[in-house]
Amino acid sequence: MPKIKKARTKPPPDGWEEIEPTLTELNQKLREAENEPHEGKRKAESLWPIFRVHHQRSRYIYELYYKRHVISKELYDYCVNERYADATLIAKWRKPGFERLCCLQCIQTRDTNFGTTCVCRVPKDKLETGRVVECRHCGCRGCSG
Amino acid sequence: MSGPNHHKGWESSEFPILCGSCLGDNPYVRMAKEQFGKECKICQRPFTIFRWVPGAGMRMKKTEICQTCAKIKNVCQTCVLDLEFGLPVEVRDTLGGIQDDMPTSDVNKQFYVHHAEQAMADGTLTQASAGGKMDPAGREQLKKLARTEPYYKRNRPHLCSFYAKGTCNRGDECPYRHELPVTNELAHQNIKDRYYGQNDPVAKKILNRTDRSGHLDAPEDPSITSLFLQNVEPDITEADLRGFFYAFGDIRSIVISKRSRVAFINYTTREGAERAVEKSFNNCNIKGHVIRVQWGKPKQQGPKSASHADAATTSREPTVDEIASLDAIPPPPGAGGPVRYSAMDPTQLGQVPLKKVLGEM
Repeated sequence: MPKIKKARTKPPPDGWEEIEPTLTELNQKLREAENEPHEGKRKAESLWPIFRVHHQRSRYIYELYYKRHVISKELYDYCVNERYADATLIAKWRKPGFERLCCLQCIQTRDTNFGTTCVCRVPKDKLETGRVVECRHCGCRGCSG
Repeated sequence: MSGPNHHKGWESSEFPILCGSCLGDNPYVRMAKEQFGKECKICQRPFTIFRWVPGAGMRMKKTEICQTCAKIKNVCQTCVLDLEFGLPVEVRDTLGGIQDDMPTSDVNKQFYVHHAEQAMADGTLTQASAGGKMDPAGREQLKKLARTEPYYKRNRPHLCSFYAKGTCNRGDECPYRHELPVTNELAHQNIKDRYYGQNDPVAKKILNRTDRSGHLDAPEDPSITSLFLQNVEPDITEADLRGFFYAFGDIRSIVISKRSRVAFINYTTREGAERAVEKSFNNCNIKGHVIRVQWGKPKQQGPKSASHADAATTSREPTVDEIASLDAIPPPPGAGGPVRYSAMDPTQLGQVPLKKVLGEM
């Protein structure tokens, strides 16, 4: 998002007025998640709400452009440039098998001991029965495609 | 501050020394190795730790003591139980008659471990001889005490301390076990006492059990010739029992009560019963079930054999085949000697005295 509005700052593309309220609301939610007290939470747990809002905001723009085709290319690029949407996460969503991916950390195999992905990427039927998963990166409960 | 000189005296290893229980049931277990990851809980030297998950639903385990310390006592690097028998060091040393001279104070211990390591490198001290010579009788006793199958319950997750306080808010996701801790004499175990074989509560419990076991006194009444078995699981058939107990003497009859999971073995002779108790007491394992063997108790009165009665199915009290009562009945013609076969027992084959039958009608 533009940090400082200057005279030379380009006006947003058409259709921005329609999506602006939702994005402001999501931004507000992100602020709230950031300011939430961390007392009583585990170390891994404290970032989960931020990951969730970040996912939600990118998902909103992804749906509008790639699924419902209601916003223009210009507006989509504007949102990505202004960091309303996470371009790398959206790039993953466009691939088969990654349609519901929760966050990029969960598919980063280099960060794990045995070169595996996060447990939330394991399909429910492949897990042992009765196992409840809450991944430590983002608190995802399962995001396999 | 790195390099081989700096790591002098530290232990680097390629493969852990573990028991079957600690490894878990998965043959394709995946392990992570970390060089000098922790200090040995016995000798405080850095050593290579291994971490793995021993099967589904189990907690992550890691090696706790270094390989030199494990080899000195021939124990598992994780559970510090004997590798051969899976028993605590104290039990093994007491029953096997092993004298142990491992020092417990800091500098002496380091010196001892250092020397042991050098001796192992030279080949003068092997893993088998490290434990010392075990006496054969003790070895037999240890074999009886040892588990035959791995004990995976040991690998379960630890208890959730928040659940015990009533404040666990993780619910089903909680990786710890939601059970209340039980406080008994086994609650205070620690790895050093286990290793040195001193005041180990588990060892104390096992040794108590063996002290009681030695042998079972035969009852004074010489007419008792039957054994009372407990924990007779439903899949054990009469043929199984007969196969196990026939070796000790002629069996007159076998009565199994499926409901109360008990059985009676009635021998024709006292010698057979005594031999059976001697051999099978604390040493009776049929189809993987440990069966408790005791002497039967004499039945108070009555000419009818207990083996004949179905009273055994309802009562757990040991009742017995009363051959003393046989003396009251005149023996069949030509049968002067001891009763050898069930066919020679007039209380068998439905030959209930007439009076009794009439009384019941």
